[in-house]
Amino acid sequence: MKAVAIVFRKELREILRDRRTMIAIGLAALATPIVLYVISQVTVRSATQTYTVGYKGEMPAGLDILFNATSLKLEQVADPVEAAKAQVDVGLVFTPRGVDEYYDPTRQSAQITDIRIQTVVSRYDAAKIAATLQERGVDPSVLNPLPVTQHPLTSPEQAAQNAFLSFFLPYMLITMTLTGGLSAALDTSAGERERKTLESLLLTPAPRSQVLVGKILAVSVVGLAGAMVAIVSMLVALSQIKFGAQGQPTHIVLTPLAASVMVWLAVLLAGAFASITITLGTLARNFRQGQAYATPLYFVTIFPASLVLFIPDFNPSLGYYLIPILNAVLVLRDAIVHNSVAPAALAVTSLSLFVTGALCFYAALRLFTREALLVRS
Amino acid sequence: MESAVRVDRLEKSLGPNKVLRGISFEARRGEIFGLLGPNGAGKTTTLRIICTLLAPDAGSVEVLGFDTRTAPAEVRRRVGVVTAEIGIYPRLSARENIAYFAELSGVLDGELDRKVDGVLERLDMGSFAKQRAESLSSGQKQKVAIARAIVHDPPVLMFDEPTSNLDVLASREIREFMVESKSRGKCVIFSTHVLHDAERLCDRVTIIHEGRVVGSGPTADVRGKFEDLEDAFLSLVEAS
Repeated sequence: MKAVAIVFRKELREILRDRRTMIAIGLAALATPIVLYVISQVTVRSATQTYTVGYKGEMPAGLDILFNATSLKLEQVADPVEAAKAQVDVGLVFTPRGVDEYYDPTRQSAQITDIRIQTVVSRYDAAKIAATLQERGVDPSVLNPLPVTQHPLTSPEQAAQNAFLSFFLPYMLITMTLTGGLSAALDTSAGERERKTLESLLLTPAPRSQVLVGKILAVSVVGLAGAMVAIVSMLVALSQIKFGAQGQPTHIVLTPLAASVMVWLAVLLAGAFASITITLGTLARNFRQGQAYATPLYFVTIFPASLVLFIPDFNPSLGYYLIPILNAVLVLRDAIVHNSVAPAALAVTSLSLFVTGALCFYAALRLFTREALLVRS
Repeated sequence: MESAVRVDRLEKSLGPNKVLRGISFEARRGEIFGLLGPNGAGKTTTLRIICTLLAPDAGSVEVLGFDTRTAPAEVRRRVGVVTAEIGIYPRLSARENIAYFAELSGVLDGELDRKVDGVLERLDMGSFAKQRAESLSSGQKQKVAIARAIVHDPPVLMFDEPTSNLDVLASREIREFMVESKSRGKCVIFSTHVLHDAERLCDRVTIIHEGRVVGSGPTADVRGKFEDLEDAFLSLVEAS
């Protein structure tokens, strides 16, 4: 096994001197806090932003106070329908029958304003009805014969954190494990052919399987380092950046279980990705062709994370945990959202990722021992 | 002289092309053996089979008594190859490049520094040993390629068109190195299509054309009645 250590040491030394890999890892460390800061600013801004409501007609007394308290600015306009197209976010026409609302659902500001108006109007209605009933000596609670008292097990802020982390963390982990090691993987496989070093390497008496293991280990370490740098910088950023509206800002934290699961998955993913990318790189004649072969991997990695974003309550059977990448996303989501991971799910996920890595290692070894590898180059 | 490399009725196809059609020759210790032929004759394929990178379809190759099929690792330990394509790791220094191949070739830790320093001195590489390979000239890179091929002190050295990408000075250094290796008792196999070089350096030659041997023997005998080896070569190729 001495050749494994020799190749591992040399590959790591070369990778550390490769600006492309260092830039990829450095960018990950810098880009994550910047992206999170922008997201936090957007969320704070949309929570506190004042929207404009153009209206016409006689507004019921007291309603204007509720509008102002909900950061809705009232503006009298001649034609609320026309104004709602661009001038204001929502147009209202107060009539003796009630109120007509005009808005463009394709505008996000109109959607948010609409939700705020619904809240304001329902509060106004409830207060008005309660006051009328009390005037007539009727207890307002008759309108609510089965009152529900909610006891949420997590705070709304915690739920928001979990939803955010369950998408963003797996996405970062998977993408950075792939990106961090990709350049190194292609350099150590396709790069060997491009630089014409492959023939000399294969001329040494070192067993090819050991040469390959040394390469995969070095790329795994770099991929893992890339993922860890990105995630640590993300967690540091999350501990400093406040999310949510002013007055109830919240920090996002990761539980010890989720952190442990994340590290374990990062190790497995790094090994699997290193094997996959080195296999693709071995097929390629040069670095650029290797990049072309590896590009579809980005789609493979983004899709499972997106699934959790769009179907947060996706509750699959154990069989789904056999699907590489998706299984890592699901396990990580379970750890973040529920703070628990089913041992069977974790075991199946670990086995699946390990087998994926092993199969790709076998494929790379077969390619590495084929005469065509030299003849084609 | 003792036989170092014995090639016997070698056949090889690459895809649909029959590249070698029964090549046989023998190279000995303490001689420079020329493997001559035009581009595409099968010289590189023959060398790749000798150093175990390719397997023969038929025939056999023995290096110092080890069969390339049954003992490939033993063969690789005893062979050093220098090719025209100088493939070295650009982000490693000249010294690191050489040390890497020394370690992979089985040079023991205790001997590593001594062997690497020895080869650096022998090829006069001290001035750029610590320089990254990407900043070296072509001649310096070729020296790194030679150093890496000989650092484990193999008894058989193979040079495949080693001067084709080099300037006059660097080419002369390579030729001098081959002569020096011969004087150290090494078996030097020199594959080239530059017949002028072969005539000056080689003790014996084998000329191959379209995968077949068309002439073989001591250089002077193969040249025979012709003015130089080039004329003899053309005559043999036309007659084949």
